[in-house]
Amino acid sequence: MNININITKQTEDTVHVAIAGEIDAFTAPKLREELGSFSQKENLNLVANLSEVNYMDSTGIGVFVGLFKGLKANGGHLKLVGLSDRLKRLFDITGLAEIMDINPEVKGGVE
Amino acid sequence: MDFSKTMEEKYIDILKQFMESQSEQSLYAGQQFSRLALEQKIPPEEIVNLQKSAMQKLMPDLPDEVWHSYDILLEVMTAYGFAFREYQSLIDTQKEFKNEMEIASSVQETLLGTSVPTVDGLEIGAISVPAKQMNGDYFHFVHDGDHSVNVAIADVIGKGIPAALCMSMIKYAMDSLPEYRKDPSAVLGSLNRVVEQNVDDSMFITMFYGMYELKKHILHFASAGHEPGFFYSERLGEFLDLEARGLLLGVDKGASYKRYEQQVEIGDMIILMSDGVTECRTDEGFIERETLISFINNYITLPPQEIVNKIFRDLEKLQHFQLRDDFTLIIMKRTK
Amino acid sequence: MEIQSCVTILNEWDIVAARQLGRNVAKELGFGTVDQARITTAISELARNIYLYAGQGQLCIDRLNEQGKTGLRIIAVDEGPGIPDIRKVMEDGFSTSGGLGAGLPGVRRLMDDFDIDSNPGEGTDIRATKWLR
Repeated sequence: MNININITKQTEDTVHVAIAGEIDAFTAPKLREELGSFSQKENLNLVANLSEVNYMDSTGIGVFVGLFKGLKANGGHLKLVGLSDRLKRLFDITGLAEIMDINPEVKGGVE
Repeated sequence: MDFSKTMEEKYIDILKQFMESQSEQSLYAGQQFSRLALEQKIPPEEIVNLQKSAMQKLMPDLPDEVWHSYDILLEVMTAYGFAFREYQSLIDTQKEFKNEMEIASSVQETLLGTSVPTVDGLEIGAISVPAKQMNGDYFHFVHDGDHSVNVAIADVIGKGIPAALCMSMIKYAMDSLPEYRKDPSAVLGSLNRVVEQNVDDSMFITMFYGMYELKKHILHFASAGHEPGFFYSERLGEFLDLEARGLLLGVDKGASYKRYEQQVEIGDMIILMSDGVTECRTDEGFIERETLISFINNYITLPPQEIVNKIFRDLEKLQHFQLRDDFTLIIMKRTK
Repeated sequence: MEIQSCVTILNEWDIVAARQLGRNVAKELGFGTVDQARITTAISELARNIYLYAGQGQLCIDRLNEQGKTGLRIIAVDEGPGIPDIRKVMEDGFSTSGGLGAGLPGVRRLMDDFDIDSNPGEGTDIRATKWLR
């Protein structure tokens, strides 16, 4: 039950973050704490790389939806890249894949 | 005061005996003494003081340095005593919480209680077990005369008390819209607006709503981001996904929910669940939907209530009896 | 009858001075070594709070003599930021100075009487008394 959150790039209007490990009820509060402040920023492009996330449950979905809504309300954008099939399925089932910017590829997603 | 007097005498006895014999027996007496001291909640600094005054009686001629050294020990142990008292107080608080939780969970059971309807020609089995004390899963049946049986199954993202509170709200929102009850897409549409307005930004609800029309044997259904159920066709001997698309409740107030239909023949089954069923973690990884199907297949000749009970028991065992998520499974079978 | 003496708390060395003052008074009044250690621990905590959160303040020791009872009162006063939610800092397990056993609930348990008054922006006034038995 570990999570690693690594900010790989940070400029005025762009933040890239790489997340590794598991996102569940135990680690989600940490994720929310580390990324939550970004949703207050104006016009921020946040790209989260999830290729090293080997487990995520619905609590994790909650964190990303909160972030998505927050960023959007402040004119920003959330993009999730590098999703495994299992993660992608979670976003498909919940209907979020249709309203959020999700890309299973890492490269194509970040650039 | 009397008590500490006897404590002191007892301690001196033990100390004296040990100094003479260094026997295991006196050490054991020392351990028993500590039990008594703990029972009386005597903090560690008192014990240091006990040692010091016992030594002053037994060996009054020790050099001053030895007595000074006790003062340092006393100071250090006072800090431990400080922490010791906090532990005790936290343990008491925890007991209180536990009691309150037990009351809250029984209140929740009463609030959210639903009975599985008895319907001629439709057998229903349902089980819902919380991972912690409070359940963030929810199911509800409404038997609408000869017309229909309505079923709702929902899962609040998040667990424990916040999820349970949220569920109570949903239940009352649902009770207050009986006129839409027959139309799954209208039910989800209006619940979505309720959740969007009233719930915290990172709390969401998935829900499957179905209306089983008793005369025509058609299941009308819609889903708000809920784990897809299965449809078992007896004629084909196959399990199909009960696929329905729709966004989680509470994300976008303009979301609309498409209504789907499934014709149900004799022997067919509708299987609904929460993601606690498919997200069971076992030693070999997660339960795949295929695994779940094979479990259902094992018990397919049994009545629905027995099937859900047995599957729960099997999955509980696979997870070594440690549920990580709330678990809800419903099976409806047309028998004639 | 009240005789008061005070130490101004500005840095960590003043905590030691406050402890020394408290210990001297406790000894004079006839407190045993265990109670002396408890009183000085309480003084340490209160003085440390002033030093960490208010920057500066005063820690005074009162000798009390009420209805034949002898006691020692610690008064810790500062004009720092104050405590917005007193109920919260009086909860166990809530401690910003780190670790179990630290903080005001612990001080309250070490002493016999405990009083706290604080207003955000105005400062904090804490009084803690131990009676001689």
